[in-house]
Amino acid sequence: MATAIKKKKSLVKNLVRFSVNGTAVELEIGTLPHQVETAHTLAHTLRETLGLVGTKVTCDNGACGSCTVLMDGKAVLSCMTLTVECQGRSITTIEGLADPETGRLDPLQQSFIDHTAFQCGFCTPGMIMSAKALLADNPSPTEADVKEALSGNFCRCISHYQVLRAVMATAQGGE
Amino acid sequence: MKPFIHINALTVAEAVAALAAYDGRARLNAGGTDLMGLLKDEFLPEYPQAVINIKNVAGLDYIREEQGMLQIGALTRLSDIASSPLLRERYGALAEAAQAVASPQIRNVATLAGNLCQDVRCCYYRYPRHIGGPISCARKGNGPCLAVKGDNRNHAILEGRKCFAVCPSDTAVALALFDGQLLVAGSAGERRIAVRDFYTPLGNQLGKDELVREIELPAITASTRQTFHKFTLRKPIDFAVVSVATLITVVDGVCSDARIALGAVAPGVVRAAAAEEFLRGRTIDPASAARAGELALAGARPLSKNAYKIEIAKTLLKRALLGHPPAKPSQGIVHDKCPHVKTK
Repeated sequence: MATAIKKKKSLVKNLVRFSVNGTAVELEIGTLPHQVETAHTLAHTLRETLGLVGTKVTCDNGACGSCTVLMDGKAVLSCMTLTVECQGRSITTIEGLADPETGRLDPLQQSFIDHTAFQCGFCTPGMIMSAKALLADNPSPTEADVKEALSGNFCRCISHYQVLRAVMATAQGGE
Repeated sequence: MKPFIHINALTVAEAVAALAAYDGRARLNAGGTDLMGLLKDEFLPEYPQAVINIKNVAGLDYIREEQGMLQIGALTRLSDIASSPLLRERYGALAEAAQAVASPQIRNVATLAGNLCQDVRCCYYRYPRHIGGPISCARKGNGPCLAVKGDNRNHAILEGRKCFAVCPSDTAVALALFDGQLLVAGSAGERRIAVRDFYTPLGNQLGKDELVREIELPAITASTRQTFHKFTLRKPIDFAVVSVATLITVVDGVCSDARIALGAVAPGVVRAAAAEEFLRGRTIDPASAARAGELALAGARPLSKNAYKIEIAKTLLKRALLGHPPAKPSQGIVHDKCPHVKTK
């Protein structure tokens, strides 16, 4: 009996629970293949454990913004966040923006398509998540606000001009 | 990243106990934006055995005024400092400095104490393992400072000794301007360290079992003009080549109080005492501002490739004193004149 309780206790201790796109996620912490290691970043867990490969990893060093996700509504870098420290958080990734039932894209995503706001598209998920955080906070931003909010996202194809246009179009209520 | 033991500390005492138990082989993790770099690049000879998460320590995230002193909790995020109405109004240089750090995503998680305690950005010191590091150097206690004979474009021009890496923190510059103090908790109790004395050429004053608990600033009297100027090569997500914070009180056209702090020119923050003294009782005009710049950098001893920083520091200081608006550090990603974008 005592061992059973002990076992249960250690199990409870070795779990990390958070929600991803509204779905509760419960992951074991440990070193076995199916478990999350303490050294895993949120970006790694999202892509490799949960299969949400929409979040991209480019520099893996906090300098490019590709891996941006929303944590409790704020844009953060998932490559600089430890998964074990996400206990109780609510994470939104690019996969969580479209309507899950109809599949209809978020207006911001549609605006990026309409304005061809990308070339290779690798930075796009991060760009959209940063813009999403801005628009949630400030629904009618100025151009300077958008530049400021997206200053942590880099695009090697120089799509920044189109991105600015796409975000401004959504901010003004769509075109 | 290589594995490590992960510890969740819920109080300052728990964090201190864990630090003491690991005797220098554990690292604190708050925002993690500096620590992840260390863990990923493994640039230190010894990989940390444990990471102590202090994100969830309660009651360390606040900005408040008490008995005329402004107190900021160690875990207050840079985004909160940059947007705090109280700081914007009275301690504008600090809010500007916080806003000048890295990117919005990083400011959303990075903490004030973490910004103060971050490791230096020397390219030799941080040389990653996956491309042949770590490189031993004076800061790691083994060998000379490689920057002296090598690439020292971003290194110290003042007060360098043994190691010539500069203090990378922007907020430290503003805090030194306000004569800020750090409240440090450790096994032996609490003590205070002035931000100005916090940095040493080989690191900072924190002991193995100590952590910063609070940052305290004296009240700012009278109406002062504060500025924070940061010169970087890339506008967002870059460390300062030189940064300058100034606090000027002008009464009837004459400067009655002047404070000048220089960042990224020395292992710590430099207060330009001679220039401050010179400006008191004078009117601030282009000539006196230029003279103040000369005095502030009079003791500079540049290395082989960084004499250019002296000119940048003088220019930034002159601009700050004359009230030129600083270049917006975080708005430079798209060129200001953008032909494709229709303005609103």
